[in-house]
Amino acid sequence: MSIEVESQAAASVPARVPALEVKGLVKHYPGVKALDGVDLVVHQNEVLGLAGENGAGKSTLLKALVGLVKPDAGEIYVRGEKVKLRSVDDAAVQGIGMVFQEQSLVPNLTAAENIVLGSEGAGVKAGLYRWSEMRRLAQEQFDKIGSHIDPLARTDTLSFADRQMVEIAKVLRIEQRSQHPPVIILDEPTSVLESKEIETLFTQVRRLREFASVVFVSHRLDEVLDVCDRVAVLRSGQSVGEVQTEGAQPADLHKMMIGSTGSDDHYHEGLAQPSEEERPRLTVRGLSAKTFRDVNLDVHAGEIVAVVGVHGSGREDVCRALFGAEPTTAGEVTLDGKKLDLSGTRAACAAGVGYVPAERKIEGMVGPMSVADNMTLAKQKSRCNGPLVVPTKQATLVDRWIERLSIRTPNRTTAIQRLSGGNQQKVVLARWLVGNDIRLLLLDHPTRGLDIGARSEVYRLMRELANNGVATVLLADSLEEAIGMADRIIVMSDGKVASEMPCRTGAKPTPLDLVKEMV
Amino acid sequence: MTSPAEDVDVAAARPQPRRGVSLRDAGPPIALVVVFLVFAALSSQFRSIENIQNILDAAAVLGVVTCGITFVLMMGSIDLSSPGVMGASALAVALLVQNNRNDNDFGLLGVALAVALGAALGALSGSALVLLKVPSFMTTLGVSAIGLGIATLMFSGVQPNISDEMLGSWATERLIGLSYLTWIAIGCILLGWLIQRYTRLGRYAFAIGGAEEVLSLSGVKVAPYKVAVFTLAGAFYGLGGVMVTSQLGAGLVQAGDGYDFSAITAAVVGGTLLIGGRGGVLHSAVGVLLIVVLTNGLVQIGVSPYWQGGVQGFIVVAAVAAAVIPQRRRNQVVK
Amino acid sequence: MTSPVVARPAAEPTVVKGGPSLSARVTSFMPVIALVVLLAALTIADPGFFTQRSLTAASMTAAPLIVMAVGATLVVLCGGIDLSIAAMASLSTVFLALWLPSLGALSTPAVIAAAAAFGAVQGVLHVVLRIPSFIVTLGGMSVFSAIALVVSDAGTVPVTDNSTLNWLTLYLGGIVPMSVVVALLVVTGIWVIMRFTPIQSWITATGYSESAARLAGSPVDYVKIGAFCVSGACAGLAAVMLVSRNFSGNPSMADNLLLPAVAAIVVGGTAITGGHGSVWRSVAGALVVTLLRVGLPIVGVPSAWEQILYGAIIVAAVALTLDRSKVLIIK
Repeated sequence: MSIEVESQAAASVPARVPALEVKGLVKHYPGVKALDGVDLVVHQNEVLGLAGENGAGKSTLLKALVGLVKPDAGEIYVRGEKVKLRSVDDAAVQGIGMVFQEQSLVPNLTAAENIVLGSEGAGVKAGLYRWSEMRRLAQEQFDKIGSHIDPLARTDTLSFADRQMVEIAKVLRIEQRSQHPPVIILDEPTSVLESKEIETLFTQVRRLREFASVVFVSHRLDEVLDVCDRVAVLRSGQSVGEVQTEGAQPADLHKMMIGSTGSDDHYHEGLAQPSEEERPRLTVRGLSAKTFRDVNLDVHAGEIVAVVGVHGSGREDVCRALFGAEPTTAGEVTLDGKKLDLSGTRAACAAGVGYVPAERKIEGMVGPMSVADNMTLAKQKSRCNGPLVVPTKQATLVDRWIERLSIRTPNRTTAIQRLSGGNQQKVVLARWLVGNDIRLLLLDHPTRGLDIGARSEVYRLMRELANNGVATVLLADSLEEAIGMADRIIVMSDGKVASEMPCRTGAKPTPLDLVKEMV
Repeated sequence: MTSPAEDVDVAAARPQPRRGVSLRDAGPPIALVVVFLVFAALSSQFRSIENIQNILDAAAVLGVVTCGITFVLMMGSIDLSSPGVMGASALAVALLVQNNRNDNDFGLLGVALAVALGAALGALSGSALVLLKVPSFMTTLGVSAIGLGIATLMFSGVQPNISDEMLGSWATERLIGLSYLTWIAIGCILLGWLIQRYTRLGRYAFAIGGAEEVLSLSGVKVAPYKVAVFTLAGAFYGLGGVMVTSQLGAGLVQAGDGYDFSAITAAVVGGTLLIGGRGGVLHSAVGVLLIVVLTNGLVQIGVSPYWQGGVQGFIVVAAVAAAVIPQRRRNQVVK
Repeated sequence: MTSPVVARPAAEPTVVKGGPSLSARVTSFMPVIALVVLLAALTIADPGFFTQRSLTAASMTAAPLIVMAVGATLVVLCGGIDLSIAAMASLSTVFLALWLPSLGALSTPAVIAAAAAFGAVQGVLHVVLRIPSFIVTLGGMSVFSAIALVVSDAGTVPVTDNSTLNWLTLYLGGIVPMSVVVALLVVTGIWVIMRFTPIQSWITATGYSESAARLAGSPVDYVKIGAFCVSGACAGLAAVMLVSRNFSGNPSMADNLLLPAVAAIVVGGTAITGGHGSVWRSVAGALVVTLLRVGLPIVGVPSAWEQILYGAIIVAAVALTLDRSKVLIIK
């Protein structure tokens, strides 16, 4: 105990030394530069916000800070000393810990075990568990944050908010290991919490500041400004500046996050042609399933309808249900007046529905298969005469689409996994176009993980398809994208359609209008 | 059953009461009682004291083997190596205690060496899993073949009959109505339960099945624990092979035939999920009794004993399906 | 691999780095290399081995193994495993021996159809109940064994009138055993059907990435059921070959073929994780395994080592061919 007091006293003397400093961090992924020389300073006893759009490099930076990602270049300093973080363990020894966005607790262990996991100390002697000691160690951590969770409760019986408290208690245990004031990283901690729980969390964060430094990441800018002392902004893998939160507005931050792309018609709004159709192509009436209920939706031919909502609003499941990939319990869906069979993906494909999944690498493409085979996977008829595959027919067709979508690939036999993300996504999109029978396109985060140039190309493709009469349902990556691309926006909340607003060029709602409906 | 939480704070209000868990835990014991009562009503032979002793004796070896495989299943891995491991240890012990092939007379030390051989083969499976990253059903299939080969080498055409009194008495002598083998099995289950509940090895095996990636994120190196679990399982199979040798009075290469599948069946029927993270040694013990009562009862009411394996086949498919169906999703990947 | 070969110069290098690595290239030729090395080694050990007579005999031994391995390869390509093939073949030998007296020439197609039906049932259980394939087929294995024991009363069923199976024991041109011809015809047939229909794409996509295949509207469920069905039918055909050679059926006749068949698949270089591989690779693998079987005694190694070798080979071959990028956590 005396050691701890000493080291804390020692550490607090040179208060000017930052708790954590990052200089020129670079990280390449195949085809993407995730971090491009990031600088970051976290002072002692400070809550630093980290803001940036999806794909700005936030999560890569965080992973580098806890040793999950090995940077290609750059340095990390902890309390003024240069360190190399090769594993979570390394980071913990240095006093850096992270509360993960996807909760990282073992569901079938007790809260106490989760808290001490990997550093049981006195809780385990000679490989044997001492449950009373475990309980005490966990209670010690809970006391720090004033939580009243039973340490011996099984983790999967706790509520989400309670589990988050367990997670914070777990991270705080690195204080015992490093003998220094810890640096705690909170990655999107509020995304699934209700407003009351968020308040509790914020109280917690302010409390942490008494003895720790906190890096707080959230996509809700108002929250960031509310709880942080200072906010650093990332864009395209680079640090673009920082804001003192005193008196700052969400709009200021937002401007820094998106930069100047807004001016040059990023979303190709010039190409937008309002749909003239009277009768809707897709009608959804009373569609219900486990995660959503009574959803009504119309999409006209040539129209792009964006569905927005927070995590857990059920919009992804609606999208997948329309493609027959999730079971529904009630409701009727028609496509051009004909009832749409939702029993499976094959029926949907045959009816002219296409789906671009959010997880491109896992669900969107078959990585080791060639560009050609990926492109014709859904519409086998397009390369067959009768039951037989005609290689020349496939070759002509695929080459035509490679050219039309300017897909950059050495040739059509290249494995799709060797292409860059944007080109991969174009092949996945082309999959639905080669059959010339696409009527409804369901796009689930079609620009996720793409750089700005590739995104812009996907946007233009969407416009062209819409102008050719394809009805599009878009689950956008960001509110800006939804507003930029959509003719109409549906807001979902808690599995229900909360509101619907027109979004024609010249009469676009602001992100704030949408956020009000979303929560 | 496996979490200390459940017997500590029953009174504490839970945000989400989980009725499914208690039903899952209670199901197999209820089924055991029901099956037992049904056969007892159908056959007077079945409900005789001798037959119940028979059932417990028959359950002994399977109980020990299942105890071992339970730890592997808890991790979410699978183990098909018991036939090979048991064959090797059966031959090893037969050649190490008093027998008609050589002058060895190592007694208990021989038993220990045979168990150690089992543990070594288990360690081999585990090492191949973590070092070569080969899925466990493949490594254990390979190790089973290796074990059978070792057994065949030791067998070398002449069956070793044991004349060791100590080992022979395991199967024949009784204490309070139960054979020594049954007591050994009870001891193993107790040991297994203690390991599962009070050792880091047991708890980590459980945690690996629950969320392996989280353990790595928490800085726990899971590889040594995986090897240790397979080693532990191998030791249990080795003891199982010794017990079979005691029953047969001779070392046979086929000593472990079919035990892999029976043990998986018993564990799954008892409530241990194949995806790991659920169940435990006590669950498996109930599963073993259920399987043995069922096969014994079917024979007693006149079903051909040849059906034994077939019945287990149906049961395991049904049990796995019953466990999987509540969590089924449409776009789920099942290999 | 699956696309038309119309030569076209590579365009500017816009792709992400990394083609197949050196080790990947070597492993892709592994079965052929192993085959040549084994042949050479055996010929050196016993110059009498590389003669038409012993090669004919060896290929005849290989025929049932080739058929079984090729059938099960389809299941492996889909990302599953079929552990029931050996028990299925044993059961089929019993059926065939029992049916020959009454059905005569029809009994061969009847047995193959029955085996295909059993295989399909396993496939349906796997797909509909979402049970892992190795559990379904492990269950199938014991069910088939039990049925075989019961219908044969746990004994050998002799075949007295072998006339309708006799053609399988003949030699084409006096050199090539008919059973080998049939095996190669079956393999070619399966390969042609896959190659020139969308089935190849569907199987590959299912094996590499089942969810992506499903979300592209591929008939994943039917493909898997079909694979199990073909796997069963092949086991049935292998049984016909075994009966024609042994003049009897037995409930455990083919049981010791499971490990060699699995070994043949993985030695051939088909990845146990699915997607990568082909039926021809399994043919090569089956030949390698057969050479080991007949070769070990030639070199003077006791047959007990055969088992140990299978075990080691399976583990080593899987380790070499496994697609680790796909499975982050190996259970």
